Amino acid sequence: MAARKYVDVFDAYDRFTQGQKMTESEWDYQVIPAKAKMLKDCYELDFGHDIIPTDSELIDRLFLAGMDMLLSCGIFNVDQGRVLTLEEDEIYQGLKMAPKKLTLGQGKDKVKVKPRRGNAVRRPVIEGGPTGAPISEDIFESVIRSYAQEPMVDGIVSGIIDAIDGRLVTPNSPWEIKATMAEIRHVREATSMSGRPGMCI
Amino acid sequence: MRQSDCHECSQLNELKVNTDMMNMIASWHLSGDNVVIEQMPIMGGYVGSVEETAICDVAATLASFVLFNCDLHLDGPIHVRWGTTTNRQSLQVSSHACAALDANTDVLLANQYYTLAGPCTEMCLLEVAAQAIADTASGRELLSGVASAKGVSKDRATGLEARMLGEASSAVCGMEPDYVNRVIDNLLRQYESNYPTAPAGKTFQECYDVKKIRPTDEYLQIYEDALKTISNCGLDF
Repeated sequence: MAARKYVDVFDAYDRFTQGQKMTESEWDYQVIPAKAKMLKDCYELDFGHDIIPTDSELIDRLFLAGMDMLLSCGIFNVDQGRVLTLEEDEIYQGLKMAPKKLTLGQGKDKVKVKPRRGNAVRRPVIEGGPTGAPISEDIFESVIRSYAQEPMVDGIVSGIIDAIDGRLVTPNSPWEIKATMAEIRHVREATSMSGRPGMCI
Repeated sequence: MRQSDCHECSQLNELKVNTDMMNMIASWHLSGDNVVIEQMPIMGGYVGSVEETAICDVAATLASFVLFNCDLHLDGPIHVRWGTTTNRQSLQVSSHACAALDANTDVLLANQYYTLAGPCTEMCLLEVAAQAIADTASGRELLSGVASAKGVSKDRATGLEARMLGEASSAVCGMEPDYVNRVIDNLLRQYESNYPTAPAGKTFQECYDVKKIRPTDEYLQIYEDALKTISNCGLDF
């Protein structure tokens, strides 16, 4: 049967409220390891020595095993202590709705993310940056500029500024908000000063 | 933030979320923002083998798109012992999961980079190259990095690592998987025996001129040496 509509984050929340109750430790130590092991055996998955898979049947079986994992286990919400489940047709409908391309950045710094289909001759988009690593406040902008000035870098993935106004950033506090705002301003300034003001961040 | 930027949040390990994450997604989704959902399955954590980790990886990626409306999924299988994405097992997991999704869907797939060694070391650059080659050859659309020295050490991240990410990725585009596997294996052999003594490398202040934002001669020489090593492993630039 066709899905009534694709599932979104609001439907997901409602499903969690109706979902099966479970403890997080049951999920972590019983449901997930047992199901993953069972599916590995059931779908006869053995990667051997290959890093890049060379057996197309193996990768199709891995895809089906991943589908099976999501269908049979669902997803656990740690705050609600409940499990969401979904139907196979909802997964396919969701995949149909997923974006097939994405445009990041503005103006001449704009880049398009499009499916590559295996090892295409077109290179992937490169997002350069410290990827969440802690960076000192006084050099934050310079560090980001070191990425923005690289011609192969198409966008910026920021780091974490370790202090704001010389004060260490306390998680879950107004200082964290201020630090985050400062990071965004520094990153934007760094891309501008590298002559790439439209870069995606 | 602009609508041409990306907003990012993370699932939890394995196949878990919290309500804060869903609240952020709701806001971004209704604002028409680009949503990136990250999930870094732990190889050797709640699940043991590379195959089981890859199964969780595929399932988590599907969930990002079909339940949480993301535009791009950001992977990053991490090794429970080494805390990196560049080790042999993590590369196997990410490459197989990506190839499985790439062959069966049209979704947009990204991966992120956590090396063991720090900046201004050849090991760090070889780790980056190995993963960039694996990610590109397995069909990823976006590569995001680099959190050098596992992303936990202050100021140990520089633009040269991202240059290597781009150069290695470009160099391998279009190559056949069998050949790429030999190149990656050669590269892994260059650094995987060094894990217990991996060099922390240098801070940004130590390997760049902070005012001019130029890498030091020392780091440029190490970069050149790394290119030669990669070339000896079978990938020319």
